[in-house]
Amino acid sequence: MGEKIIGIDLGTSNSAASVIQGGKPTLIPAAEGTTAAGKAFPSIVAFSKDGDLLVGEPARRQAVTNPENTIREAKRKMGTDFLYKIQGKEYKPQQISAFILQKIKRDAESFTGDTINKAVITVPAYFNDNQRQATKDAGTIAGLDVVRIINEPTAASLAFGLDKNKQDMKILVFDFGGGTLDVTIMEMGGGVFEVMSTSGDTQLGGSDMDSAIIDYVVDDFRKKEGIDLSTDSTAMTRIKEAGEKAKIELSTVMETEINLPFIAQDSSGAKNLEVKLTRAKLEDLVNSIVERCKSSIDKAIEDAKIPKTDITKIVLIGGPTRMPIVRKFVSDTVGKEAESGVDPMEAVAFGAAVQAGIIAGDVTSDIVLLDVTPLTLGIETLGGVREPIIERNTTIPTSKDKTFTTAADSQTAVTINVVQGERPMVADNISLGSFNLTEIPPAPRGVPQINVKFDIDANGIINVTAKDLGTGKDAKITIESSSKMTEVEVEKMKEDAEKFAEEDKKKKDQVDVKNEAESYIYSTEKLVNQDLKDKIPQEQGIKITDAIKELKDSLTQGGEQIKIKLDALKAIVNEVTTELYKNSAPPPGGSDKQDDPPGGSDKQDDQDQNTEQKSNQENNDQEQTESNDSEQKSENP
Amino acid sequence: MKEEIQNNQIDEKNNSIEETENEQEAIEKKTETVDDNEDELSVYEDKLQRALADYQNLERRSQNEISQKVRLKTNQLMLNFIGIYEDFIRARSALTSDSVNTEGLDAVVKNMNTLLSENDIKAIDAIGEIFDPKLHEAVSIVKDDSLDDGTITQEVAKGYISREEVIRPSKVIVSKKH
Repeated sequence: MGEKIIGIDLGTSNSAASVIQGGKPTLIPAAEGTTAAGKAFPSIVAFSKDGDLLVGEPARRQAVTNPENTIREAKRKMGTDFLYKIQGKEYKPQQISAFILQKIKRDAESFTGDTINKAVITVPAYFNDNQRQATKDAGTIAGLDVVRIINEPTAASLAFGLDKNKQDMKILVFDFGGGTLDVTIMEMGGGVFEVMSTSGDTQLGGSDMDSAIIDYVVDDFRKKEGIDLSTDSTAMTRIKEAGEKAKIELSTVMETEINLPFIAQDSSGAKNLEVKLTRAKLEDLVNSIVERCKSSIDKAIEDAKIPKTDITKIVLIGGPTRMPIVRKFVSDTVGKEAESGVDPMEAVAFGAAVQAGIIAGDVTSDIVLLDVTPLTLGIETLGGVREPIIERNTTIPTSKDKTFTTAADSQTAVTINVVQGERPMVADNISLGSFNLTEIPPAPRGVPQINVKFDIDANGIINVTAKDLGTGKDAKITIESSSKMTEVEVEKMKEDAEKFAEEDKKKKDQVDVKNEAESYIYSTEKLVNQDLKDKIPQEQGIKITDAIKELKDSLTQGGEQIKIKLDALKAIVNEVTTELYKNSAPPPGGSDKQDDPPGGSDKQDDQDQNTEQKSNQENNDQEQTESNDSEQKSENP
Repeated sequence: MKEEIQNNQIDEKNNSIEETENEQEAIEKKTETVDDNEDELSVYEDKLQRALADYQNLERRSQNEISQKVRLKTNQLMLNFIGIYEDFIRARSALTSDSVNTEGLDAVVKNMNTLLSENDIKAIDAIGEIFDPKLHEAVSIVKDDSLDDGTITQEVAKGYISREEVIRPSKVIVSKKH
């Protein structure tokens, strides 16, 4: 068994991670606990006004108070030149994603107890190479070696165990998330998942359904009671929660009731909201939203150039696909039952973990998992014409080369523009970057021979090299692309990310020392006022009380100050307790209790012994509480 | 005759050499078998150790999983209870504003409060506090120059902490300077 590799579903709205445990994928819980998104957490990053970095649930909670410093859906900007400007500093989308990945790394390490250095990350099937490279860069910045990038629908198919089927098949993956819909048709055969087509709607998702339910409940109450609840935030919060709960319940039962007593008040007294919601009514409310998915399914099938009947499997991903109406709609549209048995919210992360498990040797699979390049790769030639080098749907890893020549007499340099796309003209495709091959000896046009080699690794990452065959010299080639980052840039960003980690540690240390001080104050006060009340001489008692006061006053100051005062108090307490022992029988167990909190020293008579055990227990509880607290605080570097 | 004796002696010696060689071969074979067995034994030992380690890891993981599941379920159950508890509080304030005697209801609420505190569940302080995204969720903002930025002015839904874990953040309205 090799080093643990985690699988990450780096989503637009929510992210999740999973790891193989006992041969099965297990979801890694977010440190802040289960939320509305299950064990996943929102893909939101924010910087508080004090410059603190917030990721996930805390970032979402503060979003309305701090919209200018809150970043959502950074995934949509991956692979572009877009820069987020936050508090006078610029961040690339991959840096923002790296903050999310760093949190996942921390959560995974706390969950597994191991150091996590490697990950498999999923991306949408339609992601081009720039977007894939940016995702890989994000991993590197977060301190993760991204051992493989795989398509989200491929991951979902793995989670459903479709790779175990021996026969070739065509799979329709219907990914209906909180805010987006992606439909992908894939072909699986000969050890390869090949993307045949993708389509979708970036403005359609489960949140539209929640709004439809809320609107219905508010309308119903307005009609019955003549009161508009939409302006009452307390009432709206209760309706939103109850609406979500009802929607979930109606996936398993046919009828439920939203019952919110004392929701409003008018001159006639308190008003209660009672609405019966049947599954039929819910389906009626969301039907128009579900119907809007049809065009994406139809387009995907049309682009794949296959009849509907050729589709052998349907895989559903995303929370809204738990609703029976959505499942039925997709099944009816395609004419086939959808796969079941895996939570659609967790399928992509599970699949990424399965792929990670295959690489790490924790999981065996009958097929060799290979992907294909989604778009044709080529270079720009004379007149802006695109010359293909690696055709789309070529199984990767692969390497192909072509030899070119110069276009003008005595030309000593050529610019090679790497493009991706299916259109014949360069201008209609995406430029991934360009580089110069220089120092070509002057010669008539058409004479020099320049070999351009494309190499794509298993992650779909392209390396392009060029060689002047005439001189035999290896030319030094640099890819000059604004969207791809140089190693120096990646290193710089890694440093920045580590800087946050250091700040995080500093803050954690501060919290730890404060917690230790509070605990020590508690146990010392107990010692002085209860346990040893009659045994400590008055003068020494006053000394301890003064030291406690000083320590209490220092709690609002920095960690350094607290540490000094805490050490001072410890010294006084040690002095006093040592003096006490000198005047009594030697304690059993000897001197190893020296560093324990004051309540932790042994006593002589039976009665005190009992009190002492309780005191020890309380100290332990206190310590436990503290360590939990500091763990919670460390979520926020 | 003498020659015959000599030949016999040579034959005997040859036989003895052959026997010794056979014995040596047999010893070598046995040594090989012992080596093989030892190798096999160390493989099994390794497998046993791994199996034991796997078992111990599984045991530890199962314990963790069980306690996590219990904690999750308990928190969920307590949240469901809190929903009804809050309805009682609303009922009491509605009755109070109608000047109805709420003594009986007060006792019920008191018992509910005891149940919550016995289970280490505390309400999160909100109004007047400075917004903390670990404890509170902002639903909207109000412009107010008289308050410090981020002061919580209204609590639209109470939040709760179970031991040290936030089981429901408070939903609040937060002040912001113009």
